[in-house]
Amino acid sequence: MPEPLRRTVRLTTPPGDVNTVHDFLVELWPDVDTVSNVDRISIETALIELAANVMQHADSDGSGLTCEFTIVVSDDAIEMVVRDTGEPGEIQLVGAEMPELDAESGRGLALISALVDEVAYAQEGGHNVWRLKRARTTGA
Amino acid sequence: MKIDVVDGPGGVVVLKPEGRLNMVAAPAVREAVSSIVDSGRSKVAVDLSGVEFIDSSGLGALISGLKTTRQAGGDLRIAGANDQVKLVLSLTNLERVLTPYDTVENAYGDA
Repeated sequence: MPEPLRRTVRLTTPPGDVNTVHDFLVELWPDVDTVSNVDRISIETALIELAANVMQHADSDGSGLTCEFTIVVSDDAIEMVVRDTGEPGEIQLVGAEMPELDAESGRGLALISALVDEVAYAQEGGHNVWRLKRARTTGA
Repeated sequence: MKIDVVDGPGGVVVLKPEGRLNMVAAPAVREAVSSIVDSGRSKVAVDLSGVEFIDSSGLGALISGLKTTRQAGGDLRIAGANDQVKLVLSLTNLERVLTPYDTVENAYGDA
């Protein structure tokens, strides 16, 4: 069994934004080419939703935020850890429900819950830490 | 985000965003639809064939456009969605109000 592949990117907003996180994933995929298309798009969507949420809600005074995104791709699962220096989150990640069809916002957390198997949040050493995990649909 | 706006068949205005329709790009899509409606047109087709990725902010912009065009007596329909866009539409149940058509021509085939 090959070693899990682990990559980390750190960014500060601004100028970092969700595109910085997206570019990080785009650069990663060629090195883990056994990841299926549905896993790849599910992970991309979940991580970008979480990044957007962190950037919007953990930085309510607009003073900027430093975040660290780590992804670990192993044979049976893909795990993501997001750590930020923002305000303690009171974000309900699990069980967030889809809003009405005509709502223009409020789908992000429900979407994350639908895309990954495990969602966890903790405060560790003054940081907000989110952990997402998705079992791979087809093994390497 | 680059957004092309061109005249389509039957008075439909075709909006063609390129790239990632995320929280950075969503406001531009919202504004593009508003300015079309402000100019007196309300049948909009969004050609998503150049959109590689959408998130909930992008979906919000499409829902905003749907409401804006319908309030003006028109509609907003989408075409050319890739697998990621279709997955997100399905998981959010939004395919019920934003049916993904294969092509812009098909989107208003009943018009």
